Amino acid sequence: MMLKLEGMSKHFGGVKAVDDVSLTMNEGEIFGLIGPNGSGKSTTINLITGLYAPTSGTVSLEGRDLTALAQHERTALGVARTFQNIRLFGNLSVAENLWVAQNGHKQRRQHFISRWFKAGGLQDTNIDELLRFSRLHSKKDSLASALSFGEMRRLEMARALASNPKVLLLDEPAAGASIEDGQLLGERIRAVRDRGVSILLIEHMMELVMGITDRMAVLNFGRKIAEGTPSDIQSNPDVRAAYLGTKNKNKEPADA
Amino acid sequence: MDVYTITVLANIALFSFLAISAWLLLLVGEISFGQQAYFAIGAYTGGVSTAVLQLPFGIALLMAIAAGGLFAGLVAIPAMRLSGLHFSIASLAFAELVRSVLNVFQYQRWVDGYLTGPDGVNGFRDIRWIYDAGIDPGTYFLMILGCLSVVMLGVVMASYGRGMTIVRSVGENRRLAAAQGMNATRVRIITASVAGAIAALGGTLYAHMATYIEPAQFGLMIGVHSLAYGLIGGMGTVFGPLLGVLIDIGALETLRIFSGYRMIFFGGLVALVLIMRPRGILDEATVAKVQRWLRG
Ligand SMILES: Nc1ncnc2c1ncn2[C@@H]1O[C@H](COP(=O)(O)OP(=O)(O)O)[C@@H](O)[C@H]1O
Ligand SMILES: [Mg+2]
Repeated sequence: MMLKLEGMSKHFGGVKAVDDVSLTMNEGEIFGLIGPNGSGKSTTINLITGLYAPTSGTVSLEGRDLTALAQHERTALGVARTFQNIRLFGNLSVAENLWVAQNGHKQRRQHFISRWFKAGGLQDTNIDELLRFSRLHSKKDSLASALSFGEMRRLEMARALASNPKVLLLDEPAAGASIEDGQLLGERIRAVRDRGVSILLIEHMMELVMGITDRMAVLNFGRKIAEGTPSDIQSNPDVRAAYLGTKNKNKEPADA
Repeated sequence: MDVYTITVLANIALFSFLAISAWLLLLVGEISFGQQAYFAIGAYTGGVSTAVLQLPFGIALLMAIAAGGLFAGLVAIPAMRLSGLHFSIASLAFAELVRSVLNVFQYQRWVDGYLTGPDGVNGFRDIRWIYDAGIDPGTYFLMILGCLSVVMLGVVMASYGRGMTIVRSVGENRRLAAAQGMNATRVRIITASVAGAIAALGGTLYAHMATYIEPAQFGLMIGVHSLAYGLIGGMGTVFGPLLGVLIDIGALETLRIFSGYRMIFFGGLVALVLIMRPRGILDEATVAKVQRWLRG
């Protein structure tokens, strides 16, 4: 398996944001993670990337235990994410934002001096290709803060891809997008998977999640209440009660 | 050029070292009121090297750079655990600490019939290297300019080679940079150390021009001005802090119409620029526009 969570819990004071969650994602899979607002989805991503230390439990990538590693070490091993609330370097150009993601985790591996002064980082073919893939090529030299909302979301995803991840964690990438944009996004997510990246997708837009995920899990109050194929989930009575029945698919998302 | 013009130009160049030093810390996300500490450390280290130890000038420059970089790095290791206001206050406290230490620091020796070396509050006189070596003010100014050019070229090359992208990303959002795999703490400490080395280089050049230095010269106002230069000049390019120095020393201090009101004009200008252009005159957006225009 690609990514494995075992008995993961994260408590904030009395709040059990994530409560004894175990998940297994296979290689090349698009895995959906859904649940009502506040059910612990973003917290789960934060535990995988190492932004939060778990109260208990372990996380491993391709059998290697990540639990004790710092964020940048996990990035170097192939974990990348997007944020639910867009977080870019507004005062850096689009290309520089990608460059940071591509090279940030390589700091210790390359010769220090040459990297600080060596030119040509931004001519990297990988970055050019990513810019085209994300339809941002014409904005290459613009500051990220000058982009439109949709462009910023595309840059978030491109940036996550720039570190050449094995697992990509997407936290509500369609938030604020129209159904049509959601479909385009779905195609891009599939294209990313076809490059060999496994994807964990948190999303409220049900058309998108049901349409593109191979398997999915449902969280409610921090606990996993169901896991299976999209059709399993749609017919699961617990899920209908906890989530689908509430018809809150377009509800305002909570912050990451 | 007459000596007055040369002195003004040399002052502009020397302040530029301090301004670039404070600006580098701004880029990495910290407001330092204390870069004059490293300027002082450089001045004293350089002065002791040539005047007391009779070392060659080039070695004195290297010793000053090393001392500035070392102290700034050592201070940064604990200080970088602080952030925002706490860091600013720590930088200020350290600068005042350096000044108090220099107030009692004595290291005097007889050299060629002169008693020379730091003598606490009484200062440090006869840093005579440029006179002994027969260097005229114009030539010395060119030497200062040469050193400044090297520093600026280094920053420009680091921008071209993306070193500055690393610094800026950490400065803008340390956590996000860490999430991208960056070792933000290390970037901050290295940047602080480089900033200290640059200030120290300026300090030793200053000591040899002035020939006399004393702790009182390295007070808080120097640090505040150095910081303000980058803030008004702009964060987008290393020419930003230079522009700040030019505005303050080149225009406000030199032009007669401002005489006596310089501080009022300067304070007003800083406030005005920060309201209208929060990241300075030559901010990142302006620099990005110019770069795109240059590329066509
Ligand atoms: N840093 C934090 N401090 C305290 N409580 C938090 C923190 N992050 C999340 N929570 C709480 O944990 C629960 C799960 O939040 P979250 O993972 O953001 O949910 P979701 O992404 O599914 O909407 C919520 O009750 C939220 O208020
Ligand atoms: Mg969330």
